[in-house]
Amino acid sequence: MKPDERSFRIMLAADRYVNPPPDGVDAVAVAEQTGWGVMQLPADDYPPEVAGPLLAEVAEQLEEFSRHGYAFVLVGERAGLAEALAQVGVPLPDQISPRTPRQLADFLGGQPAPSAG
Amino acid sequence: MGVAFVAHCLLNQNSKVGDGAHCAGVYSPVIDVLREKGWRIEQMPCPELAFTGLNRFWAVKEQLDTAAYRRHCERLAEAVAAVISVRVTKGEDVVLVGVEGSPSMGVTVTSSDPLRGGRPEWPDGTAEHVSGEGIFVEEIRKALAKRGIGFPRVAGETHALPGHDEAAQRAGLESALEG
Repeated sequence: MKPDERSFRIMLAADRYVNPPPDGVDAVAVAEQTGWGVMQLPADDYPPEVAGPLLAEVAEQLEEFSRHGYAFVLVGERAGLAEALAQVGVPLPDQISPRTPRQLADFLGGQPAPSAG
Repeated sequence: MGVAFVAHCLLNQNSKVGDGAHCAGVYSPVIDVLREKGWRIEQMPCPELAFTGLNRFWAVKEQLDTAAYRRHCERLAEAVAAVISVRVTKGEDVVLVGVEGSPSMGVTVTSSDPLRGGRPEWPDGTAEHVSGEGIFVEEIRKALAKRGIGFPRVAGETHALPGHDEAAQRAGLESALEG
């Protein structure tokens, strides 16, 4: 069996960085290059009754990662995220709204190593 | 083009059961195909991560198939079905990309062993792989049916299957995307 290759590093990414417009920053491509996992946040135009349950699930999953010492950051913004994280006792992580892939890669590279792993 | 609803771990291998992560984070063999073909990505929640946690054991379907886990998956499936409904209402094509061999995320192959339980001493093997859907996928099917939405075309990441062939995995995905 191959060894487990996880990075213990996760970016919460706003939808516009996962499904970027033509002139946008593709955070998934940067994550591939830098070895980070991605947790996608619901699109901004989803109604609250659709986005709310998704944000709650993201928060619960992030709480599990947090308790185990995984590192995580926020790329972009999402209304309601802070409240969802507060429900599970997790603060908002370091955040960036990058204008270029290089800016995002530098931000990720400057993060402290996770305590897990 | 359309919207691909992908298993959580295809964007985040950190969610995998211990010893199960095939790469650091993003599983490129699937995600790169979706990018090349211009499909929108929607990541589904990982049902096992939120229920049994990061320290969970490898499991077959019977070990997870409890009323409580079904309720958990049903809740998540309702959230996923709500998003699929938004997309279908816009007239967009939808594909579901799961993880073959998974007790939760299998789309055509899941894992089954009615005798498995207790101290985890079973050696690696393939005897548990059977045709069928994982529990979460079954609940998504039910949630869509309640909304009168047809079940989408499916494709699967096949790393856990014997004889995994990345070219065949890609061909299966491309076939699902092309409809």
